[in-house]
Parts: sequence; C-alpha cells; structure tokens
Amino acid sequence: MPDPQPPRQAARIAQQDEAALVTRVVAGDRAAFGVLVERYAAVARRVARAVLGNAEDADDAAQDAMLSALVKLDQYDPRRPFGPWLLRIVANAATDRRRRRTVRHAQPLDPGLTAGGPRPDTTAERRALSERLRQALAELPERRRMAVVLFDVEGYSHAEIAGILKIPEGTVRSEVFHARRRLRALLADWKEDV
Amino acid sequence: MKQPLPFDHRPDAALGDALRRALDPGDDGVAFAARLRARAEALRVGSWDAVLARWARAGVAAAVLVALATGYLVGRTGAMPAARPSVTDVLIAPPAHPREVEVVLASVIDN
Repeated sequence: MPDPQPPRQAARIAQQDEAALVTRVVAGDRAAFGVLVERYAAVARRVARAVLGNAEDADDAAQDAMLSALVKLDQYDPRRPFGPWLLRIVANAATDRRRRRTVRHAQPLDPGLTAGGPRPDTTAERRALSERLRQALAELPERRRMAVVLFDVEGYSHAEIAGILKIPEGTVRSEVFHARRRLRALLADWKEDV
Repeated sequence: MKQPLPFDHRPDAALGDALRRALDPGDDGVAFAARLRARAEALRVGSWDAVLARWARAGVAAAVLVALATGYLVGRTGAMPAARPSVTDVLIAPPAHPREVEVVLASVIDN
C-alpha cells in the first residue's frame, strides 16, 4: 500500500518554505497569501466538510478560518509546521459554526441511492458511494470524523492530529480505529452490492 | 486489563480515496480562492481604515492639547504685571529726559 505521507525531508523543506511564505504574508505580500491559499484551500474545505456535512457551510467555515489565520499570523511559530496550525483553526471554526447553526433541512437523497437500486454508470456509482460515505461520516462523533479524515485522507500523523484536535495520541488512534471500522464496513457492503 | 486495539498505523489508501471523493467540493477552487482573496483585501483595507482613524483621532487630540497649552501660556503672559527694573538698571540706563535732570541739578546747586 502506498504511503501518502510525504517523506520527512520533503516535509522539512516544505516547512521552511512555508515559514518564509508566512513571513512574506505578514509583511503584506499578497502573492504569498495567494500561494498559501492555493496550498491549503482544498484540505481546509474537506476538513470543514467532514465536520459540517453541508458543502456551502463548509466553505464559509473554511473561509472564516483562513481569514482568522491571516489575522493571527503573527502568533504562528515558524519553527512548527504550518498545516496543523491552520487546520486547528479550521476545525475550531467548523465546530463553532456547527454549534451556532440553526437546524437546516438536509436535501432529501435520491431514493435510488439509498435503496441500492440499479446504477446507470460508474460516475453515478461513485456519486452514490460518496453520498453514503458522507452519511456514514455524519453519524460518527465529530472528533472521530476529523481524526479519520486527517489520517486517511490528509495523511497527517497521529502526533500531528493530536496537536490539531488537542487530544492524546492514543485517543487519536482509538478514534481512527472506530471510524475505520464503520466506514470499511460500509465500503465492503457497497462492493458486495455492486 | 484492556487489550490494545489492533490498529494499522498506515493510512488506508482505498478508504482515503473514497473519503476524499466524498468530501471534495467538486470544483477547481478558483471561485473559493477569489472570494477569500477579496475578503482578505477588504479586511486589509478595513484594518488600514482603522489605523488611519486611530491616527486621525490621535492627531485631533494632540492639536486640541497644543491649542489649549498655547492659549494658557498666552493668557498667563498677558495677565502678568510688567517686571520692575532693578535700581542698577535704572542707574546704568541713559536718562530718558537728560535736560530735566540738568535743570533739577542746577536748581539744587543754586539752593
């Protein structure tokens, strides 16, 4: 199985690069801010969506978090990796938004998707699987959701996730384990159905 | 005693890919980045406005203080009585009306 986590050397170079970028952003360099946005927008949006479910809410939370990070950039310690620092802010912003959010009416799912009916093509199958995964994620406790997404999707280490979520490393392992068990079962069912 | 959880310490690529597809917003992120940059710019402009407003407030306060201090000093100077010349100054200074002094001296000598 390929390991999506970057090699340590590459990570170190990226970290130095990011520290320099942050210094430039603090000095008012707009282009540098653009580079940071391009580098982290996708992961910030995914993590926010893992918490909030709704894509629009997730985008709003990711935007708020990145702006908040921009304002607080002078508090960032350039000796530490930038990603976990930013994702901590994203996770907090998403959690806050979820708490404040009034109950939204979720869009009803296509009955064909939930009933496991015939699927016309691969694109539709993937879309249906994604929908089921999002539902399954939504059923997990919030911390568990974030832990599995940060580990299996974003490739962060347990220690980094522990720092992001402010929980012990052992708890991160446990959360990822339980989330995987639920999600893998869903994936296995899906494969059997197809 | 609790048994340790059987945990695979490596990311699960299949699950990770499926989750990534499920969570990806499905666009190229250009609109997101553009909106974020615009908001950041507004934030920057807002912060500059705030700085300028602070400066303006400080400037007005300083000008008021200077005006008050100047007014106080000018008023104090006008109200003070003129300083009296010392005896030495009077003796050294040339007489304002020398002829009068001579007349007075002549009348004293004549007497």
